[in-house]
Amino acid sequence: MTDEPPLSLDAFQRWMQKVIMHPGGVVAGAETVEAGLAIESVVTRSRALSSFERLDIYNRSYFARLLECMQAEYSVLATAIGEELFDSFALGYLQQHPSQSYTLAELGERFPDYLAATRPVDGGVGDEGDWPEFLIDLARLERTINVVFDGPGTEGESLLDRERLMAIQPDHWAESRLECVPCLKLLPLSYPINDYFTAVRRGDQPDLPARAPAWLAITRRDFRVYRYPLVATQFHLLHALLNGETVGSAIEQAAATSPVPEDQFAADLRDWFFQWTTAGFFRDVRLTDRGHDG
Amino acid sequence: MHLPPPRLGHPQLGLGVGLRTAHFAHILREWPAVDWFEIISENFIDSQGRPRYVLEQIAERYPVVMHGVSLSIGSIDRLDFDYLAKLKSLARHVNARWISDHLCWTGVAGKNTHDLLPVPLNEETLAHVVERIRIVQEVLERPLVLENPSSYVTFAASTMPEWEFLSRMSAEADCGLLLDVNNVYVSGVNHDFDPVEYIEALPHERVVQCHLAGHTNCGTHCIDTHDGEVIDPVWKLYARAHRLTGGVSTLLEWDAKIPPFDVVHAEVLKAKRWVEVRSAECGTGSDAIAHSNGVQIDPTASPSRIARTSIQVDRFVVHDRPQSGRLGSHASVSNPVAFLVGDVE
Repeated sequence: MTDEPPLSLDAFQRWMQKVIMHPGGVVAGAETVEAGLAIESVVTRSRALSSFERLDIYNRSYFARLLECMQAEYSVLATAIGEELFDSFALGYLQQHPSQSYTLAELGERFPDYLAATRPVDGGVGDEGDWPEFLIDLARLERTINVVFDGPGTEGESLLDRERLMAIQPDHWAESRLECVPCLKLLPLSYPINDYFTAVRRGDQPDLPARAPAWLAITRRDFRVYRYPLVATQFHLLHALLNGETVGSAIEQAAATSPVPEDQFAADLRDWFFQWTTAGFFRDVRLTDRGHDG
Repeated sequence: MHLPPPRLGHPQLGLGVGLRTAHFAHILREWPAVDWFEIISENFIDSQGRPRYVLEQIAERYPVVMHGVSLSIGSIDRLDFDYLAKLKSLARHVNARWISDHLCWTGVAGKNTHDLLPVPLNEETLAHVVERIRIVQEVLERPLVLENPSSYVTFAASTMPEWEFLSRMSAEADCGLLLDVNNVYVSGVNHDFDPVEYIEALPHERVVQCHLAGHTNCGTHCIDTHDGEVIDPVWKLYARAHRLTGGVSTLLEWDAKIPPFDVVHAEVLKAKRWVEVRSAECGTGSDAIAHSNGVQIDPTASPSRIARTSIQVDRFVVHDRPQSGRLGSHASVSNPVAFLVGDVE
């Protein structure tokens, strides 16, 4: 026992939080705050455990609990790189970005950006390829899937269907705007990770894909999340539509990236819009040049 | 002296189960004969996806109670009024019978440890907590129900036992209590107090609900892991609490190594047998759980188990981290938060 006066509630909470959140453990944590304040002066012992041992339970649980949550959200990434390496990344992340939210759903929100910001300077480029980009891609995909899963959706709504799409007058088409559903997200990637992701979720152990640019559309229907691989032209088209540009402007931007002849591109466009309408990418069409909604 | 109505006037809902993601599909398919569900509020207040949809379906068919883990009533940080507004909105939307959280703090200086951290039990903390409960109740426009947390430390600054703190807190703030019987047991082991004395000393008329759960006994202490069956000593405490309170809504929490729904449901239904045994021992009858939906109790809950007083030592998960040398057999996680991860095609 010590003769030190009890801490105020304010001082006590600041002390305990620093101690239990310290990655080096409670002794190291206690040394960083309130110089000279011994753990024994704050925490009493039990018959079986010392003050240090009791407080240490909270320190261990803090990291174990949050690492478990990070592994749950980034399960494919954790599988890809192994639990030990994943935990070292996640531990660094948690120290730089401790939770400031009432919900664990936001715990891993900035993890992809953290990985991007802390990637090796040399990029890991070599015989093994630019592996940090692969990890960042996986993290971005997993985060996006979770955002789409529990974010705003269109369940119960009547979306733009093929008949309404076909009914748009050709001279209105270029000036119309397609309102994308709020759950539609686009991901530009450095690696074609979609099949890899599917295989890992299935429990397989796939080889790492070779580096190549890839694009994904991710959306939700009937509370299930779907992924659609895109080619570059499709990505640019959808990206422009998501930004609220007119169909004509979006097609113009996409055409600039199209590697196929013009007549083939026109045929592709027709197929793509039908496919995306069937997939529920669009909520509505607005015929802006006529001053009314379609 | 103001004497509140039993359970603060809340209904006796019977025997319920904590709603967990792993059981969504089963519940929507089978609509099991469970009396009521308790949700982790934070997993639903922002949801605009399947969790919210499932909750709405369930709330149309079962009574729902909201149980939070981030109110942080004991923290010195400002109350989060946006969070309270979301709680209130969801409670209205799903007709939550009541809203509960824990006597704890979860973080300070804007951080959330996502742990239910204990407070020093003294006059300063009591005044602080009572003031905040009053504010919360004013915002929510309903009495708050607070749970006794399980804990692993006690503080030199504490000047009163937890049961005294809870009694004074609930009287001064005019709030309800959620008696987690397993937590009383766990904390009793960890802090060398008699759990019977704890339960006897509580203001029983303010107990709105009971929690039951499994825990992990590490030999020198217990961890509130919610990962297994309720052990017999906890059932005995529950039977005592049932007699003292006259019977309150009772809920089983199972948050790790979650078995099929029927197993979880069968576990809480054991409460019927334990109450019957206790009533027979005490020569008193009670029909407080009689209106449970009529599913038969698990036959493994035989009265002979009452005689078994040894504590079950279960295996538990050790969550390693980079400084693996620091993690010994104490490493276990008391995590009441079910983290939602989406289905994907």
